[in-house]
Amino acid sequence: MLEVLLGSASKEKILLFIASRESGYARQISGFFNIPLTPVIKQLKKLEEGGVIYVEIQGRTKLYKFNPQYSFLKELKQLLSKVLEFYPEETLKELKFNRKRPRRSKKPL
Amino acid sequence: MKNIGKMSRVELAAFICTHLAKRGIEITLTGGSCVSIYSENQYSSMDLDFIERISAKRKFLAKCLEKIGFYEKDRYFMHPDTELFIEFPPGPLAVGDEPITDIITIETEVGDLKIISPTESVKDRLAAFYFWNDLQCLDQAVLVADNNAINVAEVKRWSLTEGEEEKFEIFLSKLKKD
Repeated sequence: MLEVLLGSASKEKILLFIASRESGYARQISGFFNIPLTPVIKQLKKLEEGGVIYVEIQGRTKLYKFNPQYSFLKELKQLLSKVLEFYPEETLKELKFNRKRPRRSKKPL
Repeated sequence: MKNIGKMSRVELAAFICTHLAKRGIEITLTGGSCVSIYSENQYSSMDLDFIERISAKRKFLAKCLEKIGFYEKDRYFMHPDTELFIEFPPGPLAVGDEPITDIITIETEVGDLKIISPTESVKDRLAAFYFWNDLQCLDQAVLVADNNAINVAEVKRWSLTEGEEEKFEIFLSKLKKD
């Protein structure tokens, strides 16, 4: 939906993913949308260089989040939130499902 | 002309600023180097962070800087005669979501430097304290405020818009009382 503005479908998906879950890493985003990893990594780098997102290293994972100092963050989030309204409900549910509380080890599902 | 290796920080920044302005690239100095300048080097930063008013093509920028001896390495521009290096962080020139309009000019014998005012420099440093809890940046904001006439009311207004009253009070409590 924003591809024409952003010039990249991967970039749109990355931004929507981070807007929904507050953070994301390359393999997670690529896996969720079933898109190749290389363009996701490339676009994450571009967004980081542009100051839109920043990276937090957690162990061996590069976790990306919105840069709170990005001047257009509020407006960007509003736009992304509008775009999300047009996504299929099922995708939206999956996108927003992000278990944060810890799960006891060996607990049966 | 004075050799780059013999220029002070302000002179080098002014020289670069004027050199690029002549080629249509308008830049403003921001970040840690402003703290160095406004604190008379009580804090030392090795990088000169310039923000472009309107982004020029990177290749053109590199070509212009090459003319005065700077070469690009990773995201930075280095020069063999100085330890200071140049960086062009992504714009716009802003603190939080407010554009910076209070820009002053420092005239030197090698050119004119466009630099954010001491008040904006305080806000710029406080932004890092507010958003990232960076205590070094809080100290830098205090350093600039203690060594320059700043508009405390404006810093307060901006801090409140950012919803950072508590942290603004911390900043205020650290200022010299005289």
